[in-house]
Amino acid sequence: MGTKTESDRSGTFGLDFRTEDKLYRVALGMSAFIFFVFIVFPIYWVFQSSLKTRNAIQTGGITWFPSSEGFTLSNYEVLFNSDVGLYLLNSVIVTLGTVLSVIVISLVAGYGLARIQFNHKANFARFLLFGYMFSPIVLGLPLYLIWQDLGLLNTRIGLIIALTAISMPFSVWLMWKYIQTIPRAMEESAWVAGASRWRTFRDVVVPQTQPAMIAAALFAFALAWSDFTFARILLPQNSATTFAPGILRLINQSYSFAWSDMMAASMLMTIPPLLFAYFLQSYLLKGFQIRSL
Amino acid sequence: MAGETIEREDTRRIGSLLDRAPVDAETLIGIGTILPVILLYLIISIIPVGFAVWASLHEIPLLNPNWTYIGLSNYAEVLRIDRFWASLWRGVVFMVGSTLLQLVVGLWIALTLNQIKVAQKLMTAVVFSAYLIPTIVVALGGLFMFDTFVGVLHQIGSETLGLWGENTFALGTHQWAMPLVVLIGSWKFSIFITIFALAQLRAIPMRFYEAAKICGANRWEMFRDITLPRIQGVILVAVLLRSIFMFNKFDLIWILTNGGPGYATTTLPVLAYREAFEAANYGLANAIAVVMFVFLALGGVAYFKVFNPSDEVET
Repeated sequence: MGTKTESDRSGTFGLDFRTEDKLYRVALGMSAFIFFVFIVFPIYWVFQSSLKTRNAIQTGGITWFPSSEGFTLSNYEVLFNSDVGLYLLNSVIVTLGTVLSVIVISLVAGYGLARIQFNHKANFARFLLFGYMFSPIVLGLPLYLIWQDLGLLNTRIGLIIALTAISMPFSVWLMWKYIQTIPRAMEESAWVAGASRWRTFRDVVVPQTQPAMIAAALFAFALAWSDFTFARILLPQNSATTFAPGILRLINQSYSFAWSDMMAASMLMTIPPLLFAYFLQSYLLKGFQIRSL
Repeated sequence: MAGETIEREDTRRIGSLLDRAPVDAETLIGIGTILPVILLYLIISIIPVGFAVWASLHEIPLLNPNWTYIGLSNYAEVLRIDRFWASLWRGVVFMVGSTLLQLVVGLWIALTLNQIKVAQKLMTAVVFSAYLIPTIVVALGGLFMFDTFVGVLHQIGSETLGLWGENTFALGTHQWAMPLVVLIGSWKFSIFITIFALAQLRAIPMRFYEAAKICGANRWEMFRDITLPRIQGVILVAVLLRSIFMFNKFDLIWILTNGGPGYATTTLPVLAYREAFEAANYGLANAIAVVMFVFLALGGVAYFKVFNPSDEVET
């Protein structure tokens, strides 16, 4: 393109800056549009299908919106279906239990690792990371018989224990790193003022770890809310099962459970994650700012 | 208050007792704080793995409490059966295919999300929710959209693109089952890479780019010299974690295809589950689980050797 003067330094592909800028903006917009469609389309499709009557899904063909006579909210009565309601309740209990125990246990362990000097700390941390190598299926198969012996099979507490352990590597490391960023001086001044270690932990450290607690809670939530493998193996009975294996069992067993019901149930499981993602996304990002795991 | 003084005296007495103990109080408290984690790990990881090793040495019909000790013959059988090697191979295909696809898509989304100015929070929320939506919902949505009668993606695939026949359930064909399972899984798990990368991208100070601009760098140079080095490390970590998770993936495949048609999507975790609960051969299933564990443990050791991830965190 002829000779260039100092003033029109070349941009990418040798284009001048103004053209490059324009091209870049167009490409960025298009790319955002494409992936947005790619992510939103399935969610939208499940949502709009959950608002259609059975008949509209079966015979109405594939349409972008529920037609006026095909529109219904009655699919959401699936919530009051005794089976589905129970599965959802079990899922909520298991998720809450897991989130709470993950927060408490990782907070204490993170504090210990960050603030107390003792031997084999680093080895312990390595050992924790090793937890990533255990596949749920590798652990689940033996746990089935172990839980049976301990009487934990078909109990929600049994599932909570398993899911808490699986969330541990990430949340303990998160807490450990986070507590290291809190200035030690604050605790020291509390000690000087005569506070016990426990008081210091409770009143000085804990309030400051809030972002890390939220991040850890979010991960525990994602894990427990979506768990299928452990729930399937450890809750073989219908009465104790959580949503994921429960709904699959319902689908395999009954002919009366239609696509529209299933999509409504799916939406019910999707709403909490949507809310979490909107309101807590900055905490989620903060949690992942860890350079290494 | 009276109660408090007593409490303090108690603590002091315990403290002086501890001073005379062979280990110092600090170590005891330290170990006390991590004790719950150790206990959980013992119950959930160490004992089960030991138990799996023990069970793998026996012949165990699932509904029968009688175990017959048969030594290593389960392992001999595992290494002999075609199902195992074929499943291992399929597992590797599934793992590599998924991880590569997720890496490309996940990075692409992260780089775009970081740059857009309009509705950034909403976009980020929608993208992140894809990761938080339970696998069962993703899989049910997939089954629905590929349904032969009412599925929109089935119709697009058969009528618009002509990839499969009008009455063909794509997830039930040998040709399409695996690619579609990879695709449906990547819809959710690409976002894992996105979250990792975006967290790092947000942490790059703006002044780096401003300085580069003053020096006359173009966009590509800025990306190559500022952005890429900053996200390289975390991408390596994310890719490794994703590979491990995909190698272990059971739920998605099981819900979408039950490992079928035939064995077309049976990876090692699915094979272990099928052997345990379909073939009721609990011993053999555990042998498969142990072999999987050995693979992963070797992978884990290599991971620590190469990346030494605890380096940065040590105090």
